[in-house]
Amino acid sequence: MERSDIYILCIEDEQEVLDAVVRDLEKLEEQFPVETSTSAEEARDVIEKLLDDGKKIGLILCDHILPGDNGVELLIELHKNDRTHTSRKVLLTGQAGLDDTVRALNEARLHHYISKPWSREELLEVSVKLLTDFVIEEEENLLPYMSTLDAERISENIRTRHNVSDE
Amino acid sequence: MKSGYSGLTPTQITGLFLGIFGLILPFLLPLGSLSFAGQIGLGIFIMAAVFWMFEPIPIYATSMLVIFLQILLLSAQGPMYMDAQLPASEPVELREHTWQIPSGALLDDQTVLVVTEPGKTEAVPVEIVERNGQHIIIRSEELSADQAIVTNTKHRLVNYIPNSYTDYIGTLANPIIILFLGGFMLAEASVKYNLDKNLTRYLLSPFGSKPRFIILGLMLVTAALSAFMSNTATAAMMVTVILPIIAQLEPGDRFKFGLALSIPIAANIGGIATPIGTPPNAIVIAALTEYGKSISFTDWIIVAAPLVVMMLIFAWWLLLAFFPPSVDRFNLNLKGKLNLSPKAIGLYVIFGATVLLWITENMHGIPSSMVAFLPVAALVTGSILSKSDIRNLPWDVLWLMAGGISLGIGMDKTGLAVWMISGFDWGAMGYITLILVFGIVAVGMSNFLSNTVTATLLMPLVISLHTSGVMGDSFNLLITGIVIAVACSLAMALPISTPPNAIAMSTGIIRTKDMAKVGVIIGIVGVMLILAYAMFYWPLVTN
Repeated sequence: MERSDIYILCIEDEQEVLDAVVRDLEKLEEQFPVETSTSAEEARDVIEKLLDDGKKIGLILCDHILPGDNGVELLIELHKNDRTHTSRKVLLTGQAGLDDTVRALNEARLHHYISKPWSREELLEVSVKLLTDFVIEEEENLLPYMSTLDAERISENIRTRHNVSDE
Repeated sequence: MKSGYSGLTPTQITGLFLGIFGLILPFLLPLGSLSFAGQIGLGIFIMAAVFWMFEPIPIYATSMLVIFLQILLLSAQGPMYMDAQLPASEPVELREHTWQIPSGALLDDQTVLVVTEPGKTEAVPVEIVERNGQHIIIRSEELSADQAIVTNTKHRLVNYIPNSYTDYIGTLANPIIILFLGGFMLAEASVKYNLDKNLTRYLLSPFGSKPRFIILGLMLVTAALSAFMSNTATAAMMVTVILPIIAQLEPGDRFKFGLALSIPIAANIGGIATPIGTPPNAIVIAALTEYGKSISFTDWIIVAAPLVVMMLIFAWWLLLAFFPPSVDRFNLNLKGKLNLSPKAIGLYVIFGATVLLWITENMHGIPSSMVAFLPVAALVTGSILSKSDIRNLPWDVLWLMAGGISLGIGMDKTGLAVWMISGFDWGAMGYITLILVFGIVAVGMSNFLSNTVTATLLMPLVISLHTSGVMGDSFNLLITGIVIAVACSLAMALPISTPPNAIAMSTGIIRTKDMAKVGVIIGIVGVMLILAYAMFYWPLVTN
């Protein structure tokens, strides 16, 4: 499996939780490199650096309670930023109150909310679905993603979009 | 097709430089009898072939580049030939049968070129009497004072009448391209209104739930759809049908290999069945038509469909032999409902009428390319296809074919094609051996190259074997052309062989070695079958 330039970013301040997320995403990591950060501040740097290197951020999994700016604030900011607007955003938390969650939905167009504790299947399923959305929207050549992501939806998209044609 | 994410690979960079070098290479080599225009044509040919092989730029881009270079370097209106005139003058008669000519007029083989009609010359052998600096005194009984002889035999107009640039750009409106445009618009509308999926649902239901018959059904439906739609779109659609079936199997079940392979195999083979089935057919039909061997939609089906059916049955048997079904029955749960909106019904009527008129071309005589304008006009008039749908058509494929046809025109007009087949004693090979060799070469090349490109590179050779007459009377242009078209579609041993193969491989279900094993056997059996049809069946149904 060739590495793509689409990254998954996990933002979580507790190292053990962060390790667990990364471990659960192992199946995807071969194709979608996983980057981690432990605060909003660090996440901004990581994102900046990746984008400047010509990489793309496909999926952002973010905890709510973080040192400094909280997760919802960060996601709203990333949603407003042109360069991370299309990145799929997941709030992965147990502690966000209703108000924060509603804000994240309305202002950050949150793509998914996963409450802790999560199951590996749930996390993988959500990640695959959102990364499929991302590549269908952003990528010209979808074939490399078929075996890791949702092959049925990608095939359907090839059928309608002609991005692979007879030659 | 490349799977990389971005940037040029080292192979592509090599190809880029090799291609550019190839463009000037013919001017660095002594190429004997090849005309100046032939050298330009050869440069374009090498560049195109290298670019098509290494793909430093997309293959349709190479096609467009070919047309651009041809109008620039070969057309009558391009800078190269815009003001060019063949330098010719009447020889000076010194005594009877003795002439004084400029030294540049004498060719190495002691002939001079006499202008017979504008742009055409004929070599006349002469005897050298005396060389005299700028002039040569020669003896010849065949020259006369009112004949112009070419004073500079190296001139770019020697043996070349440039075409108008409109001949090259006009390939995009070649009748066969218009036929494909009609097919593409029907396919686009079918996808938009899910006609392809609904047809699949109806056509598959008689095949029941027994795995071996489901595979047969899948293959027949895939082939039938890909005969009228793009092989790739059909394969992509059928993949969405088989993935839920495969999900019902145990993870280690080998039957899934057979299921997943049946789709690209049937899609590749199905394209052979009609003229619009797959782009290589267009290249072959365009070249044949140029030489008076036009073939009707009906005749093509009569020629190709029996071979398609035989190949499908063989492939079915092969897949079942390699990957026997492990369960007794499958649940083929195809959901969906026929779209009965007025626009969708309009599409069904237009689709049915067009296909009916196409396959009955021999009965009414209206050329299929004219019929193709029925869906083109009707689908937009009825707003069945919108502006964005038209933008979504695979224009790249139309350009790919147009460039291929244009390259063929250039190779023929510049004398390049005839020059390429000279130097080898084709006549000694015999017609049957020739068919076999073309079949093997086409399948072999097309496994690594685009099918259309393979047809584009081989068809000019077939045409020059015809025009030069080196093969004698046994040679049949029509059948040899059909061999090329069919063989190009029977290459399916590798993921890169065809886009349907690439899609099937991308699902991650099959392994390359299974595809290669099945694909190589299909290629070998296919060539044998082509040979048999070319010897015994096609002569009966063509004239």
